[in-house]
Amino acid sequence: MSTAKLKVLNRYHVIFLAQSIMIGTGILSLPQKMSSMGYTQWLVPIIFGITATLTLWPMVWLCSKYPTEHLFRINEILLGKIIGKAINLFFVLQFIVFSAGIISNYMHLIQSTALPEQTITLPVICLLLLLIYIVSGGIKSIARFCMMTFFITIPMVYFTRWAIEKGEFSHLLPLFNFNAKQFFDAFKDGYLSILGYELIMIYFPYIMDQKKAFRHSLIGIWISIFLCFFTTVVSVIYYSEWQLKNVEFSVLNLFKAGEFTFVERIDIIGITLWVFLILSSVTAYVWCAKIGIDSVFKKKKIYILYLIAAIIFVIVKMPFSREVQEKLFAASNYIGYMLIIWPVILMLVYAVRKKKVEQ
Amino acid sequence: MNKKLLCIILSLLLLLVGCARKEQKVPLEDIGMVGTMAFDYIDDKQMKLTVAIPQYSPEAQKNTQIFSVATDLVSNGIVEIEKLSDKKIVFNQLRVVLVNEEFARKGQVRKVIQHLYRNAEVGNKVLIAIAKDNAETILKGDYPDKPNINFYINDLLEPSINTAFNPNTNVHDFIYTISNPVIDTILPYIEKLDDKLEIKGVAIFKGSHMHELIKPEEALIIQALQGRKNLAPLHLDLHEGHGEEKLMIDLIESTVNIQSNKDIESPKITINLNIKGTLSEYKGAREYELKTAESISHLEKDVNKQLKEDITKFLDKLKTMDVDPSGLSEKFRMYYHGKWTTKKTRELIRKLNTEVHVKTSIISTGTLK
Repeated sequence: MSTAKLKVLNRYHVIFLAQSIMIGTGILSLPQKMSSMGYTQWLVPIIFGITATLTLWPMVWLCSKYPTEHLFRINEILLGKIIGKAINLFFVLQFIVFSAGIISNYMHLIQSTALPEQTITLPVICLLLLLIYIVSGGIKSIARFCMMTFFITIPMVYFTRWAIEKGEFSHLLPLFNFNAKQFFDAFKDGYLSILGYELIMIYFPYIMDQKKAFRHSLIGIWISIFLCFFTTVVSVIYYSEWQLKNVEFSVLNLFKAGEFTFVERIDIIGITLWVFLILSSVTAYVWCAKIGIDSVFKKKKIYILYLIAAIIFVIVKMPFSREVQEKLFAASNYIGYMLIIWPVILMLVYAVRKKKVEQ
Repeated sequence: MNKKLLCIILSLLLLLVGCARKEQKVPLEDIGMVGTMAFDYIDDKQMKLTVAIPQYSPEAQKNTQIFSVATDLVSNGIVEIEKLSDKKIVFNQLRVVLVNEEFARKGQVRKVIQHLYRNAEVGNKVLIAIAKDNAETILKGDYPDKPNINFYINDLLEPSINTAFNPNTNVHDFIYTISNPVIDTILPYIEKLDDKLEIKGVAIFKGSHMHELIKPEEALIIQALQGRKNLAPLHLDLHEGHGEEKLMIDLIESTVNIQSNKDIESPKITINLNIKGTLSEYKGAREYELKTAESISHLEKDVNKQLKEDITKFLDKLKTMDVDPSGLSEKFRMYYHGKWTTKKTRELIRKLNTEVHVKTSIISTGTLK
């Protein structure tokens, strides 16, 4: 494939790809995940932002060494065919399970709040069909979808107005009354919510202006970080510490504080709009999984996408207990963290094998 | 050709929708939307659950269906009620939860409200109130000049400027205050008088138990200290050397500034309250003097003094009760490193020294000279 045809993403695409993939279901329960730090948790998103910035750099650096290859190829080049392929397969699995985790989480939410009397089979199928549609358009269609998502969902910030009015701003005073373990717990559970920017390693060869990719991606990341920060600040001022710990989807409860005279349940509007955010992150992961399979088996077949969708469906509707499911998703989360530091390892390999691979 | 076929298929599909199996959903007329719930105390294990459901059928004699069952769990009670009623019970339209005084004093309210807070059907704006004696009789009562008990109770408890002393606590406020160690919950307290309901005062909680009942005027002070901007009309009795004077200040805007000395060993708090309002009525010796700016400012000073006395007295009363409904200990918690507990709040309130400064400005005395 010629590189000219490959490069389809302009700078806005890069910004919003980074931005929209990060905001999935994670932010909905972010305040609860970080509740071990109590009121001081509002500082954590900023630390997340800094961490994300620091870990983005090796990713972009690595990719800029191979401007026309994506992570799966880089793995093969640097680690050899067999190890590379094994690891690629591992990542593909991670992407699939991770997207299944996001969908399952969202469906759990839908079932517990909006549609308590229905089974989720039909909504899952609809979501997956949409997903196939968007993904088959390629990375550019995903990027455009991400842009649309951002502008459709950003007005939801307005729904937090009432919570801010009611909130107690004195909760925000930084007291730093947490210990290292609490901080670590909050960091470990919360960082999951901002995963997603690591996919740049896979769509990097499609970016037109690769020299500025780091900057553009960073803008996207910091938009998301700001949204996370805003969410946690509002939650902290609106809730008591007990509520932060116990309310599962705190963001929806923030919406519940709303007082429109003509709408009773603003949280339902929130949930339904959230489907855009879910789709934008899941489509990117599924696209990456597809690219991974393509590169492992050296074939490009459209049925692979359907296969992935079918696997996701099976995982979401898995006949196992919820406990097994949770464990599977938790495992995929840890692999997600691994993916963040993976480029650092590859960088070391690159440094060691530089001569050999550049032949 | 292909397009034609597509059109035919699409229109066939559209028409065939009507043949689809009827969805297993309850039609709207078979849903009973609970408007008001009431809990009464029976014993430690059991409570009496009463629900009021608006009845829209034109043939029905009464416009509200009321069901009562004795139950141990809320959801169990709902199942029992579904057996009695011809409808499916849902909470989407729940507006008010009434709890009888005994139930509140025995400290089970939190459990019940938490159940509602968990329930996704229930909005956060459901108002909670304490009922004197029996909550069930309030729902079952006859209010000939009111359309429906559901609307009546809801309107009564809804925030409005004349009942602004009423803390109109909703589910979120309740859970927020009861789970927050720095503040004690307050709930409006209503009583049934013949064919009317009246908000008699405000119930203060200590922990998860109802502790004491205070007067509406005192609740006004709590709200002023919590930083509420608009307050209910303030009624004052002055005793400042001009005999007995009565006055009413209306349209009050208040701003409050509370400073603590950040020391929980010898806590001291300074309250600066500024209120601004119109003098709507005055009765007393100075009635004909209140025409010059000088005499008004003199009156303002007297009002300051009186208010300061009232607030200090009230805070002392809270001190003897060991409760903190206006969340004064938050001013200490926000500077405290470490875990704040309810015990700390109690100790702090017991030791608390208060200094109150009130500044009143009467902006007008109406249009009549």
